[in-house]
Amino acid sequence: MIDASALVSQALAAIGKAQSPADLDRIEIEYLGRKSGHVSRLLSNIGALPAAEKAALGKAANEAKRDIEDALATRRAELEAGRLADLAETEAIDITFPGPALGRGHIHVLTQVRRQIETVLESLGYQVELGPEVETEWFNFEALNITAGHPARENWDSFYFSPELLLRAHTSPVQIRAMQRIKEPPIYIITPGRCYRRDAPEATRLPYFSQVEGLAVDKGLTVGDMKGTLLYMIQSLYGSDRKVRVRPSYFPFTEPSFEFDVSCGICGGVGCKSCRHKGWLEVGGCGMVHPQVLRNGGIDPGQWNGYAWGFGIERMAMLKHDVDDIRLFYESDLRFLEQF
Amino acid sequence: MRISYEWLSDFLDLSGVTPKDAADVLTRLGVEVESLTLVDLSQIVIGKVLEQKPHPKSRNPLWIHQVDVGGRVMQIIAGAPNAVPGTVVPVALPGTTVPNGKLVKDMNIAGEKASGMLASAAELMLGDDHSGILILDRGTPGEPLTSVIPSQAIMEAEITSNRPDCMGHLGVARELAAGLDRPLKRDFMPAFTGTADPPGRDLVKVAIDEPDLCRRYIGGVIKDVRVGPSPDWMQRRLRACGVRPINNIVDITNYVLLEYAQPLHAFDLNKLEGPEIHVRRARAKEKLLCLDGVERELTAEMLAIADANRPVAIAGVIGGADSAVTPESTDILLESANFNGSSVRQTARSLGLRTEASARFERALPPELALAGARRAAALIAELAGGQVHREWADVYPRPQEPVRVNLRPALIDEVLGTHVPLEDAESILKRLNFHVKVQGGGEWDVLPPVFRLDVSIPEDLVEEVGRIYGYDRVPPTLPGRRHDRWTPIGPSIDRRLDDAREVLAGAGYTETWNPALVSGRKLEDLRIAAHAMRVTNALSDDMDTLRTSLLPSLLGAVAVNRDHGRVDVRLYEIASAYLARVGGKSTQPEEPLRLAAVASAGTSADQGRKAFYGLKSVLDACTAALSAPASTYQRAAAQLYHPGRCAAVVIDGRQLGYLGELHPSVTTSAKVEGRMVAFEIDVEPLLAIARISRAQPLPRFPAVERDVAVVVEETVAAGAILAAIKESAGELLEHVGAFDEYRGTQVPDGHKSIAFTLTFRSPERTLTDAEVDRVMSEIKLGLEKRHRARFRE
Repeated sequence: MIDASALVSQALAAIGKAQSPADLDRIEIEYLGRKSGHVSRLLSNIGALPAAEKAALGKAANEAKRDIEDALATRRAELEAGRLADLAETEAIDITFPGPALGRGHIHVLTQVRRQIETVLESLGYQVELGPEVETEWFNFEALNITAGHPARENWDSFYFSPELLLRAHTSPVQIRAMQRIKEPPIYIITPGRCYRRDAPEATRLPYFSQVEGLAVDKGLTVGDMKGTLLYMIQSLYGSDRKVRVRPSYFPFTEPSFEFDVSCGICGGVGCKSCRHKGWLEVGGCGMVHPQVLRNGGIDPGQWNGYAWGFGIERMAMLKHDVDDIRLFYESDLRFLEQF
Repeated sequence: MRISYEWLSDFLDLSGVTPKDAADVLTRLGVEVESLTLVDLSQIVIGKVLEQKPHPKSRNPLWIHQVDVGGRVMQIIAGAPNAVPGTVVPVALPGTTVPNGKLVKDMNIAGEKASGMLASAAELMLGDDHSGILILDRGTPGEPLTSVIPSQAIMEAEITSNRPDCMGHLGVARELAAGLDRPLKRDFMPAFTGTADPPGRDLVKVAIDEPDLCRRYIGGVIKDVRVGPSPDWMQRRLRACGVRPINNIVDITNYVLLEYAQPLHAFDLNKLEGPEIHVRRARAKEKLLCLDGVERELTAEMLAIADANRPVAIAGVIGGADSAVTPESTDILLESANFNGSSVRQTARSLGLRTEASARFERALPPELALAGARRAAALIAELAGGQVHREWADVYPRPQEPVRVNLRPALIDEVLGTHVPLEDAESILKRLNFHVKVQGGGEWDVLPPVFRLDVSIPEDLVEEVGRIYGYDRVPPTLPGRRHDRWTPIGPSIDRRLDDAREVLAGAGYTETWNPALVSGRKLEDLRIAAHAMRVTNALSDDMDTLRTSLLPSLLGAVAVNRDHGRVDVRLYEIASAYLARVGGKSTQPEEPLRLAAVASAGTSADQGRKAFYGLKSVLDACTAALSAPASTYQRAAAQLYHPGRCAAVVIDGRQLGYLGELHPSVTTSAKVEGRMVAFEIDVEPLLAIARISRAQPLPRFPAVERDVAVVVEETVAAGAILAAIKESAGELLEHVGAFDEYRGTQVPDGHKSIAFTLTFRSPERTLTDAEVDRVMSEIKLGLEKRHRARFRE
């Protein structure tokens, strides 16, 4: 019968040679198994021994068990460290192999651009206002100072359902509705939505399109405030190197009226093919709200004034993403929509 | 409008100001120059044709010219026959590029040497005329062409509708002079030059029958004119502006139109019956052979200029051929009138004829302009056609233009602009624009706009005048900010809230589309969803004449587009309004319910369609869950567009929001979509209205127990009914029940099906024992046996 220390040396030798956790599991059972392990068997005859030897043998067996357990744990840790150290070879994969297509859907680029515009203007305290697309003649034209027979009317050639009812040519009617609803300034709103004009479809315009207009009504607003708001908006959307210029123009509902241009993102404003050598890209219209329009919205122009602006969401998206044909936005061609 | 830089230089000193500079200044002050075409004529030389003979061999008619180009003679071949010996012509020598971009080379044409080219007006970009060689009225052979024709710069400008005065070179020059702060060399009102007797008004009778449509009619009489070609410089300017020269009288009327923006017309006085002029409405069926050779039928909506018997012109649009000035004419009646803008616009539109004249009248010209234009034209006719201008013209002007005065508190300028404009600058700007400024005692300004500026009537208009000349670039950008004691709390917009659904749909592979709201009304009728359709009365085309009542046809159309590109599995959605006419007439605003609609390919077999139906339910359920709305229930329904056996009404919180189902085969077929499609379309506003903020529930502390049960029932029993029965019998311990399999086959009797359910039980207070769960399961089974005659498979 072998003694405890010999058993330990035997076990340690086996443990030292073990090459896998499975080897160690076998060794553990062989030596430390509860019934038939060598250490247990050492104690199989303990009942027959005298008390003094009984204690000594018990102690020796416990020490042997502990030594073997320690050795097992150490060897297990060594093997695990080795396995982890070798992972680069043992489990290497071809990381260039393409992943399976996810098949994700895409949010429409116009939704994305509208969201960006809304986010920027909401950060200035503007709130989204919506209104009907089928409008009355009064809200679409009269309230905006575009009286019947006005020479500017041809700029808003519209689709009619009856002499009184038409598809709105701009989202400006929402401005009037908002003023009438809110009644007391301050009013800071934006009005995204679909609009319609009787223009034959071509690469740069469609009979249906989407606008975002903004309206601020407060005390002591200036052309400078309007310019600053547009500049903040454009730089937030396109980058802080962009410039904005306002050019005098004419709209019946603003006075003074402007077109606003953004410096070309490709040439930085010196002129290139993309901006037709102008250095500037036309984006939209703006101006100080005409006193009569404030009156039509129920606001006293003696106390309050305002500025407003508007532009096409498609136009903004075209500038941002280099889209050269507006029709692409409404053709639902996945080859286009999946690019964004 | 085309603006000639060279013409502008008649009115102000442009030294040191390049055409590009002028274009930039104009654009910045509101005359938007869209393009600038520079025509460099310095490479072209003057030649004199010595000899012209036909090309002997060429199949097309060609002419061989010997041309003196100053000390040497070149052989030049041309197709046009008008460069006869003795004419002076522009010559492009070999190696030069003519302004239209053509490079001239030495050539050999059918055996004949050809050096250089004789140029037409079009090739030199001096006009649109390419019918013949440009014949010069003077010039020395060998000298550069610029010795007789300066290099050209043509600006294409967009004139805003409030500034008809800028539809002529003088108006544009005035703007430019104000912008450059240089004096304008021409007064608005020319002197009257008529002296001949008898008074013009005794030679022709003028009457306005429609004073609302014609505010003023001046009929000037000029006798003994010699009709012939107008001088070269005038023809060149007309061509540069896109107007074809005809004869000196007609050319002068066009020239003054391009200069003063006042349209004029010259009649042959001897062809006017009476001679009388009646400005009256046309009579129905009256016809007029117009100057362009087209006979037009007039209507009572149109204003006509008539002599004693018949119409001789369509007011403000075009003249008649019979009364036109011809080479034989000697006496003319010069018409300078003011017609109503709307009336001219309607007439031009209904005739489909927009002329230089109508484009100006449409914008409501000031009546005072008529006199300025008439005087200018009379002076030119006297000078260039040698006519006798009679004194005291007929000038019917029943309601003269009222002078407008505007009171300006000058501080308003700084208040509106947001920068400081020195008062003397502001005053100087207004004066440069011909405004009369009188400073009142209280510091207010009494401002009298010039007669040609009907667009100025309120103080803000004056602020704009000052601002645009002062320069808006000089206004620093600022952000407004004021201490407010009132505000409206901000909530997310409807569209922003729907982004939660968009995220779900994107994850499920659905791509968002934006489709036109105007669709074909006929198609809606074919699909039988036109009952509440709104039809536009002036559609551009049949396929865009009606507002859609459903998003689904558009989405199906989008599927067809993508199928054409080889996509088989297509999943699309759209968030947009439908438009439903209200009961009680189509002249009230319709309902515009905001909808969420989706379509997805659903294979070809009935079973694939069935699975796709359930798949789409999961998508819709995930959307409504993402929007924090209560779960939907689905009730068997029949709806237009949907498969009769595969359509469910979507009901949330007791309210029907729309339908989900497989699309009817005839609907997919008519959209040219092969295979099956599933779709849903729901109203989202009521959905958002019942959305609730999610409340946190305590996490379960005790384990759940799961049991599966396969329920065998007759085919007619719906899974939803079984689920309802299970929930009813189970009581509070049932946490969740889901169906996971449906089976028909050998182990199930004919006419029956087996549906497998997984039930999850849990108590919030204790760990459930098997015995407890067994008891509940027995209750459930008992309930199903009673209610649905169910049996159970192990």
